[in-house]
Amino acid sequence: MTVALSLHGVRVVFDADPVLDIEHLSIDRGERVALIGSSGAGKTTLLRLCNGTVVPTQGRVERSVIQTRIGTIYQQLDLVGPLRVVHNVNAGRLGDWSTWTALRSLVRPLGVDAARQALALVGIADKIYMRTDQLSGGEQQRVALARVLVQSPELVLADEPVSSLDPARSVEIMRLLNEVVAVERGRTLVVSLHDFNLAREYCGRVIGLSHGRVVFDCPAAQVTDKMGQELYELA
Amino acid sequence: MSSSELLGDLASREVAGRVYLRQKTTQRVQNTARSWWFAGLGVAVGWIVWTTGIGRLEMINRGGWSQLRRFWIAAVHPDLSADALSIAGRAALTTLSFAILGTALAVAFGLVGGVIISETWWRRGRKDIRPQWYVVRVLASLPRGVHETVFALLLVNVLGRDPLVGIIALALPFGAVTAKVYGELIDSTARGPYEALRSSGTSRVVALAYAIFPLTGQDIVSYGFYRLECAIRSAVILGMIGAGGLGFELALQFQALRYQQMWTLIYALVLVSAVADMWGSAVRRSGRVRATRWSVAAATGLIVAAAIGLRPDVGRLFSASTRSLVADLARNVWPLRAPRDGWGGLVTRAMDTLTMSLLAIVISSILAFGVAFVAARRPGREGKIRWLTGALSRALLLVVRSIPVPVWALLVLFVVFPGPVPGAVALGIYNFGVLGRLWAEVVENLDRRPVDALASLGAPATSSYLYGTLPLSATRFVSFALYRWEVAARETVVVGVVGAGGLGRLLEQQRAAFDMGGMVATVLALIAVSALVDVISTTSRRVVG
Repeated sequence: MTVALSLHGVRVVFDADPVLDIEHLSIDRGERVALIGSSGAGKTTLLRLCNGTVVPTQGRVERSVIQTRIGTIYQQLDLVGPLRVVHNVNAGRLGDWSTWTALRSLVRPLGVDAARQALALVGIADKIYMRTDQLSGGEQQRVALARVLVQSPELVLADEPVSSLDPARSVEIMRLLNEVVAVERGRTLVVSLHDFNLAREYCGRVIGLSHGRVVFDCPAAQVTDKMGQELYELA
Repeated sequence: MSSSELLGDLASREVAGRVYLRQKTTQRVQNTARSWWFAGLGVAVGWIVWTTGIGRLEMINRGGWSQLRRFWIAAVHPDLSADALSIAGRAALTTLSFAILGTALAVAFGLVGGVIISETWWRRGRKDIRPQWYVVRVLASLPRGVHETVFALLLVNVLGRDPLVGIIALALPFGAVTAKVYGELIDSTARGPYEALRSSGTSRVVALAYAIFPLTGQDIVSYGFYRLECAIRSAVILGMIGAGGLGFELALQFQALRYQQMWTLIYALVLVSAVADMWGSAVRRSGRVRATRWSVAAATGLIVAAAIGLRPDVGRLFSASTRSLVADLARNVWPLRAPRDGWGGLVTRAMDTLTMSLLAIVISSILAFGVAFVAARRPGREGKIRWLTGALSRALLLVVRSIPVPVWALLVLFVVFPGPVPGAVALGIYNFGVLGRLWAEVVENLDRRPVDALASLGAPATSSYLYGTLPLSATRFVSFALYRWEVAARETVVVGVVGAGGLGRLLEQQRAAFDMGGMVATVLALIAVSALVDVISTTSRRVVG
């Protein structure tokens, strides 16, 4: 199996406070990894290291995935409200499109079929021409998923995608994330979560973080409730 | 509450406590600094007003009163003959065309300029800013310091008499202001979507088109309409120095002392401004996508119509004669030449200009203070007398700011001997119209609750005014007055051109004599004066803030 991403002696320091300190961490292609830890444990920073929006203060991050094939779903979704859904979905392809194509598509949407397919997978194909800010919160979350989908990403990063959802919708989103990754072999998923049970159920590997350090890192089957309790008590 | 949350909570409380203590100390220091700053400013203003000789020297020309009286009497019977109306109508269309084309060009400049002066454009990663940003920002701010009249006087030497001069003269300073505002709009738009796109390898142009402009488009359009309202007033002024339209006709009728015809033109101007005002505020207030789209479509139609009507000769920009004239002028620019009375004369004129702008703001503040509270609309029912005085004072402010500054200057020159004082009085009266409206809006937008609380405990009207309304509005009053001072410093050119003194008058004399080196020296002096005013004003506003 090839390595998707690996960290070597990485330290990240913000304003003299170390927020992440990882000796070694490596994620293989095709893995589904959950990051678990309380707020401020360094989950978001770790995800940002993965997509390169945070640069390590020390050490190095190696990636075998090119930038335009990394799809990130941020906690606050980062959708553009006044734009129609199709444009927000197409935003996932802007890394591949030329400037001219991108501007032309704002006047007359291009790649409508692909966008519709992606939206169909997340169950809101009929909303394709709606203004995004007229959609409900759950629907907007699906638009963000569809955006990652059209990017045909090899590495999907999701920052607490279910933190503001009720249990039923959380399960739904985790299932969809798994589907996005399952579309093609070798796609990797790294998702940060608060919910211990979701992590065990939907991911193959669980990494526990506390104060910027890896506390445990093991297959989901081996994670016990006790490990989870300890993780939150440490914080 | 988990242990981590508890700890977090305690920590944040401790930080809050420390911040509070620090704020208390800095506040005390700030209060002292504020008192000193304004005491100093007050003394300086007092001294400058004293140097003008107001109240000490004879400056009223008694012979002019009858003319002035005849002018105001004509206000109630303007010339409504078919002839006069058709002249006014055609002149209004010309002025409107200048304003529309100038604004369109300014918005185009503003869009390009706004992007390239925004931090967003030059940001590299999360914190770094490319060094080019500072250079671009300074360069883009230069045209803002120069009034459109100055651009017109400079351009007419190069392009000759063509509508192009008026349009470009309007578009340059307006474009610079628009660029500044658009840049701020771009920078204040939510960063998240833009950075998400950039991090996935999208170019800056595309990221702006997908993540910034859709979020801020509404504001960009409505600011464009606000600029149009301003452009109409400026187009009238440019008309007076030869661009045609209402300003030109006003100057003609004034020379012939035909006041009734003048009033026909003034009312036409009030009408055109009022329509533009209403359109602009409708766009701002509705905030609806569809309304904005219709307005943009209608504006596009107007731009085409205006271009057909004025027929600016764009070819002139690139013609051989223009090129040789520019080369000629470039040769004559250096060395800079002092006016006939030497560099000392330039400094005196610059001081006159500074004095004029200060005195103008003192005059308009005094006048506006008397009217703003009356002119402010109140929520709920108003008594008949209250309603009537309110409506009358709003009408007064509207008429005062509809009469262009140079017309005010000509009127004031009937009764005041030339020099900086009549210029200051004219500017003061005009800015009274603007400031009065701005202040009235401050009063209208006040948080009424503290005032209502005073009234509810039985405080008489004057007490709740002194303890509530006045202190609540004072800081915003001061910052608006300072902002108008900046504008007035630039507008001094306008009153100067029609003969009221200062650097503007010098500039017009130098233009008539084709003294290019002299003109450039004068323009640099103007920029220096307005930069000085900006620095004092910005500092004062920060101190007040």
